[in-house]
Amino acid sequence: MNVELTELTRKFGHTRAVAGVTLAAGPGVFGLLGPNGAGKTSLLRMMATVLPPTSGTLRLLSRDPGGYGPRREIRRRLGYLPQQLGYYPGFTVVDFVEYFALLKDMPPRQVPHAVAAAIEHVGLGDKARAKLRTLSGGMLRRAGIAQAIVNEPELLLLDEPTAGLDPEQRVAFRGLLRDFGQRATVIVSTHLVEDVAAACTVVALMDAGKIVFYGTPAELTARGEGSGAAGDAPLERGYSAVLAAARAAVAARS
Amino acid sequence: MTTATKAPARRTLPPAAGAVPVTAARQLRLELRHNVMPRLLPLIAALFWFDSYRPSTAMPPYWVFRTFWNMGQGHTIIDFAAFVAGVAAWMGSRDGRRGTADVLTAAARPRWAVQLATWTATAIWAVGGYLAFVGVSFAVYAYQGVRGEPPWWWVAVGAAAVLAFSAAGFAVGVFYPSRFAAPLAAFGALFVMMTSSQIGFSHRSGWAQILPTNSNGNFQPDSGMLYPWLPDLPIARIVFLAGITVAALGLLGLPAAAGGPRLRRGAAVAALAGVAAAGTAAGLASTARLGPHGLMIPALHDAANDGPIAAAADCDASGFRVCLNPDYGSDLGHVTAALAPVVREVAGLPGAPVRAVQTAARYSAGEGQGGQAMTISGHPPVLGMPLGALGLPGAFGWTDEEVAGQLRLLFVHAFVGAGSGAGTPAQRAVQAALLQGAGLPIAGQPNLLSFVGLPSWARVTGGPSPGPHRASGPVYAAARRFAALPPGARHAWLAAHLAALRADQLTLAQLP
Repeated sequence: MNVELTELTRKFGHTRAVAGVTLAAGPGVFGLLGPNGAGKTSLLRMMATVLPPTSGTLRLLSRDPGGYGPRREIRRRLGYLPQQLGYYPGFTVVDFVEYFALLKDMPPRQVPHAVAAAIEHVGLGDKARAKLRTLSGGMLRRAGIAQAIVNEPELLLLDEPTAGLDPEQRVAFRGLLRDFGQRATVIVSTHLVEDVAAACTVVALMDAGKIVFYGTPAELTARGEGSGAAGDAPLERGYSAVLAAARAAVAARS
Repeated sequence: MTTATKAPARRTLPPAAGAVPVTAARQLRLELRHNVMPRLLPLIAALFWFDSYRPSTAMPPYWVFRTFWNMGQGHTIIDFAAFVAGVAAWMGSRDGRRGTADVLTAAARPRWAVQLATWTATAIWAVGGYLAFVGVSFAVYAYQGVRGEPPWWWVAVGAAAVLAFSAAGFAVGVFYPSRFAAPLAAFGALFVMMTSSQIGFSHRSGWAQILPTNSNGNFQPDSGMLYPWLPDLPIARIVFLAGITVAALGLLGLPAAAGGPRLRRGAAVAALAGVAAAGTAAGLASTARLGPHGLMIPALHDAANDGPIAAAADCDASGFRVCLNPDYGSDLGHVTAALAPVVREVAGLPGAPVRAVQTAARYSAGEGQGGQAMTISGHPPVLGMPLGALGLPGAFGWTDEEVAGQLRLLFVHAFVGAGSGAGTPAQRAVQAALLQGAGLPIAGQPNLLSFVGLPSWARVTGGPSPGPHRASGPVYAAARRFAALPPGARHAWLAAHLAALRADQLTLAQLP
């Protein structure tokens, strides 16, 4: 398993952003769904080794990121696109991706080819020499994806990757996800259920810091059938039904 | 909960541990290309030209004078400090301002190493700019035939100061990642520089000597001409500034996100070592004492620097023989001409010098680069002239005539035996009369004595206060009476009474 989480918890003051999540994932595209504040970003940041867990255990790529040496090894094999990706406006796309390739300790000789390939992969080949400040929001997002995949990661964590992408780009991006999912573990946090339906083999739904559903997109769709839950698409109705059931259970317990 | 797939994790990319230098070099190349410092260099260049270079060109063509303003008083450092600290803070705060902290933390290279690369690029531009500007100005000086030896140690102090301000500013930016970090660091640097300069005016010894813009440094009147530049104080300042640099950079490596335990321990050691180095240097500076060629720090002093610079003197033997250090050779004619009237006035009298040689001027902290008392000694008598700033038309705006007047005054002051003090009233009266005989009317002498470049005894008699001074009082009355004697009678009286005059045994009433 590339990702093994056991009772993983993260608190911010008295708030439990992630509340005892247990999860495992091998190669494939894993969708992480949930409403705002569900804890998806905190969970992803812990998996990106940016945020240490408050309690629980975390193993990534068969290593414990608690130790510095293993953590560095994990980071060499990690691709991470945060929800809010900062960038340096004066950098060109090539510079930006190369910068992160170098920071990921890639063998220097492989860097130029890997950078070019990543930029082509996200369809920014014609903008490779453009400064980031001149790019649209969608293009910046694609540059962010390029920096995440430049090292051919074994674990790719993407937080809202399709935000700002137009429909054509989103279709292309789903293809990229499927491609990466054949040889790496890809975890995608998103609000867009159609992305999950199109690209993910497994999906988890988070609410209030907990996993309230785990299964295939088809299974999530099935939960919505006949439930009367709101939603335009079958998967959305499944999403709404699971959330409503989880919240009702919490209300009943309290 | 698990996914169904059982495919094993792959190793797609081997670790690049052996390629760290290449990776660091490429990262540095990127940082150099995207650094903000080069954009500020034209502004610094303009300030440097107005504040450091242009004022220096008004000084006589000697390295010690041309560079006293910009190196000795630290104007070049002041020109750079605020900008460098501000830009470094801007670069240090970049990741915080731009929101790249998360994605950088998730990268394999230690955060500290990444930050050091960014700082290194900033420092390379800053120090490169400093060296380029100083290099160009020095090249212009050299082209103009400026004499002596350049103060290389002080150039190194400036480079170390630029480095220290870049490191301190960068640390401010890292720990305060805000858009206000840059102005905060810039104004902070400016405040530090101004405070350092002000402390330098009032603290002429002790720990304050370590401050980079304390002008009581080793800019001696004859440094690089009659004797070498003393490196003691520059070495202490370089160690101090390097200590600040290392401490600031070490601090960056202390936070948990900076890197692994070993790296963080190294950063802590570096920070402590930097503080220790800076403290040691300040301690060394507090032991500095005044030597003949400047401030000596016993623990750093090399006796090899105490010897004079060997050089064959330039002499004018057309009349009264005057010999100057070859670096002062262009002033030989002027000095000879300036001394000629007083030489004629005392010719044939006991103790009248038969020739004049330039001697090394002693440094006196706090008294500026002023002239010092001439001496007459030996058999036959020889006039020793510690010219220093004197004999240099153009220094501090002096004219040829004003400098000539000072040379004559110092000659006669030594001749009447007044030494390094103001002299007795009788000596001062004879001095005034002899100067009038040499073409300096008594009425104008109080103004001559008010020149700030003269030794301190001149202030006792004439006072440095601005405005016209009047030649009045019993001394000048006696001087007028003595000067009114026929030259032969004056000469005969001096021949008979000079020994008593020099021994402080005569009173004003005993003058004819």
